[in-house]
Amino acid sequence: MFINWQLRQINLKVVYYGPALSGKTTNLEQIHARIDPTRRSDLVSLKTYEDRTLYFDFLQLELGKINGLTPKIQLYTVPGQAFYEASRRLVLRGADGVVFVADSGSNRINDNVDSWQNMKKHLISLDLDSDHLPVIVQFNKQDLPNALPAAFLQNILNCQKYKSILSVANIGQGVFDTLKAIISGVVANIQSETM
Amino acid sequence: MVDQTGESTKIRLRGGLSLTVVQINQIQKSINRLMEIVPAQYILLVDTSGQLVTTAGDKSMIDSSILGSLIAADLAASQEIARLTGEFQEYQMILREGDRTNIIISEAGKHLAFLVLFSRETPIGWARKLIQNAAKEIGAFVVQPVVATQEEQISPTEGNLPGLFNDALDQLWKD
Repeated sequence: MFINWQLRQINLKVVYYGPALSGKTTNLEQIHARIDPTRRSDLVSLKTYEDRTLYFDFLQLELGKINGLTPKIQLYTVPGQAFYEASRRLVLRGADGVVFVADSGSNRINDNVDSWQNMKKHLISLDLDSDHLPVIVQFNKQDLPNALPAAFLQNILNCQKYKSILSVANIGQGVFDTLKAIISGVVANIQSETM
Repeated sequence: MVDQTGESTKIRLRGGLSLTVVQINQIQKSINRLMEIVPAQYILLVDTSGQLVTTAGDKSMIDSSILGSLIAADLAASQEIARLTGEFQEYQMILREGDRTNIIISEAGKHLAFLVLFSRETPIGWARKLIQNAAKEIGAFVVQPVVATQEEQISPTEGNLPGLFNDALDQLWKD
């Protein structure tokens, strides 16, 4: 979080994390498509030639004034491919909250677990204690014929203590609920820290 | 506000940064002076996660929020490269040479980073030295103790904040 008293802005950073092709960029594309263009930035994607995320995607939202300050919410994704390990850690720096986008397909269990553990490791190395940092788990691609139920995925990831949301991000289902949940978590966390 | 230990003295933030109007005015003066003596065409100052602090010069065609995120990312990647190769140092700089203008991206202490765009006719060594001096000055402004005004002592996080944010998000969203 960064408060700029001169511009009267409160800036928050949320990172979408998860295995390759789980739908992180799709979440941002859906948000970009459904927000008034005057209240958001363009969607910036640093991609490879194969249209895969190389470094990050970025989108900024500007909310109406709250308590006299204008909230600006910066949304980032990390590159999901295993090769970009170092980049993922960099994008997590300064995060106020994380959305973990899991792929619900039964063939992606190991990828989800690896990515979850990888995220936890990076959060610890960045002094972002995942016991206090707001985390929302989104079980995406629930429309797949081999989609696993939420309870099973929660057990596999051992993430029962975090709020989880079912989604089909490519049609926008669950995307806004996830965004609202993580922002609620972030602001509640800030409130508890500053009271 | 951040004191000399890097801890917030007004609003307790674990990982955040709060800059008062006094601090930002000091930073702005330093940026304006740098603009004049380099001379630079444009300067953009962000925090290390890419959030806008202030600008100088006219680049109204540039989206400063996008540029800010890229400055932070560029610097973070460069720092990591330096760390992996054992060449990490404070006040790291990145130089990009263009046909008409050059760009230097520099850290300004632990919390801030800035981009300076200047003519190719300006000697790089001259610009580099001035930017390094300004970076140290700006970095010091952030960690110096500053008395917050009465207004700045009011917590912006009072009330039903999650509910207020939810309402604000609802107003933005169209199904």
